[in-house]
Amino acid sequence: MGDTITKTDLSIDQLFDRPWTTIVWDDPVNLMSYVSYVFIKLFNFSAQRAHELMMQVHNEGRAVVSTGSREEMERDVQRLHEHGLWATLQRDDKI
Amino acid sequence: MSNFEKVSGGFSLDLTIDEAHILINLVEQLLELLGEGDFFHHYDSSDPFAQLMAMPDEIVAPEDPVLMRLLPNAYSDPEAASDFRRYTEPALRGNKQRTLRHMREELTVLVDEDRDGVIEELDAQIWLLGINDLRLALSVRLEIDASSFEKFELLPDTDHQKPVYAVYFWLGWLQENLLSALAS
Repeated sequence: MGDTITKTDLSIDQLFDRPWTTIVWDDPVNLMSYVSYVFIKLFNFSAQRAHELMMQVHNEGRAVVSTGSREEMERDVQRLHEHGLWATLQRDDKI
Repeated sequence: MSNFEKVSGGFSLDLTIDEAHILINLVEQLLELLGEGDFFHHYDSSDPFAQLMAMPDEIVAPEDPVLMRLLPNAYSDPEAASDFRRYTEPALRGNKQRTLRHMREELTVLVDEDRDGVIEELDAQIWLLGINDLRLALSVRLEIDASSFEKFELLPDTDHQKPVYAVYFWLGWLQENLLSALAS
């Protein structure tokens, strides 16, 4: 019963409230090894996942590193700025 | 030659006195820059009451491109960016200042004694963030882009920017060195 209610709430959320995303942008300064290290440190990614995301930032100019509530994404952006990465948050534009 | 090493109980850094002078000089210049508009320095920024008391109506985005790189906008929308800055920039600025002050304290020992030496039991995470911020700051002044290494190589030794480039690339080497030590 509890599970059902949770699932219903989730789908309503998704219909009316698109999630937010944290985006890391490419810059010519931050070392590739450092960017991977920060991804692992802040988001607990595996080394492989961190490397993939870092390469996506490098090759495509940007990558989504986290998705969730606006408050959570603001916290992630703040932590990325503390580490000198260029990050912004925005509504998920894929939905 | 500078070198980070993982030792029992933490990390150590071997520095020549010249390297210590370069680092402390950069640290102090960046501290001075970050201090601009620092309405916060009488308060401990981690104290919620102090944060509330120090909360201004608005914090204008910094004009200096170095500060804009270290304290960037979190939103492309100017109003949301300004709102976010109002609530978060003092803490971000304060953290960066604390990191640099920590480095300055450890470097001061070597500089005051005017000798090559080893900084023992240093906090690797703090040094990682500090070195990165120093690199970012220099990169803005040098207008670093993907072709900068070639540009640097072709500069005549008499060019006044050449030593600054050299320091920038050395900081990159130092950061790689620390990342290797962290991974070992």
